[in-house]
Amino acid sequence: MFARIVDALDNRFTFKESFKKEVLDHPVPPRVNFTFCFGGITFLLYALLAVTGISMLFFYVPSVDHAFSTVEYITFDLPAGNLVRAIHHWSANLMIVFIFVHMLRVYVYGAYKNPRELNWITGVLLFGIVLGFGFTGYLLPWDQKAYWATKVGVLMPESLPVVGGFVTKFLMGGDNIGALTLSRFFALHVAVLPIITVVFLVGHFLMIRRLGIARPL
Amino acid sequence: MSDQGVSRRKFLIAGIGAISGAIALGVGGAAVTSIGAPAITNKREGKWVEACNCADLKPGEFNQLSITYDAKDAWLDGKIKQLVYVKVTGDDILALSATCAHLGCNVNYDEQTGGFKCPCHSGAYDSTGKNISGPPPRPRDRLVAKIEDGKLKINTAAKEA
Repeated sequence: MFARIVDALDNRFTFKESFKKEVLDHPVPPRVNFTFCFGGITFLLYALLAVTGISMLFFYVPSVDHAFSTVEYITFDLPAGNLVRAIHHWSANLMIVFIFVHMLRVYVYGAYKNPRELNWITGVLLFGIVLGFGFTGYLLPWDQKAYWATKVGVLMPESLPVVGGFVTKFLMGGDNIGALTLSRFFALHVAVLPIITVVFLVGHFLMIRRLGIARPL
Repeated sequence: MSDQGVSRRKFLIAGIGAISGAIALGVGGAAVTSIGAPAITNKREGKWVEACNCADLKPGEFNQLSITYDAKDAWLDGKIKQLVYVKVTGDDILALSATCAHLGCNVNYDEQTGGFKCPCHSGAYDSTGKNISGPPPRPRDRLVAKIEDGKLKINTAAKEA
């Protein structure tokens, strides 16, 4: 039964052949080792963050009245809520670690060189976006730590020449950290940044398919 | 391909499949559990609510009472408002939920017939709450009520058979 459904779909899309050619029989250079997995692990963590993030989206409310109570509800009342939040927390932390070792590996192997410069550039942009995820997500529980960490964070760009004052006010949505800061950080965290990330990720991955992974030293 | 036992390719496909499946099941399970759980855990609790002073009740006829009580709604301390029709005849208390047995609208008392009519789909009930015409599939719920210290108390969950 299941095999027949798969076969019927394969008749239309011929994915079995593509899977064999593009995945199973895809040539890779000799002496590729586990350090080549760090990019893939980073992507796996992104997927975990998306799944757990969407689950919490069913409960979290980005308003200064309710944000903290909803996070408390997720953590202490909701069955498996604490697990979902813990996976989100640890995946987020580990993602930074794995991006770092991924970049370190690429740097040491010289894999950023021609013709793969754009891979490095999109990668660095993605790293910046992930830091943006971390910064905006940190505010959402709306506790003391979140508030003061954001206060420090948004005041840093103030020392930029000319535009600094505006950047800070833009991030806060005015002169104070308040309702608008929370709602715009939420919008960035769950809608804007994920979409930008997917765009750059597609580019990052397509270029790897086109150029193949760099030959080890 | 080796000619003895499982080929390396099959082993790797099965191994990677098993590990991916375990991760997907674990995280997917946690996600689905948390999203689905409120359907079971976020219950409306039954409790005794003071509805009114007995002296205010007109004996022998239906009194429309609106009872309001605290109810926890996930992270909110909310309130629920509920409409009840109460008729006290001697020692007998009839407390009919106003909620229509069809799709949950509040029914109105119909002075002409002495029964009830639902404004949504014209369901009709007699004076005991029994469905007599229209779409309601069963009689309306009878709530458990008692009189204590001159006050009428209604249980918001317990139904009389």
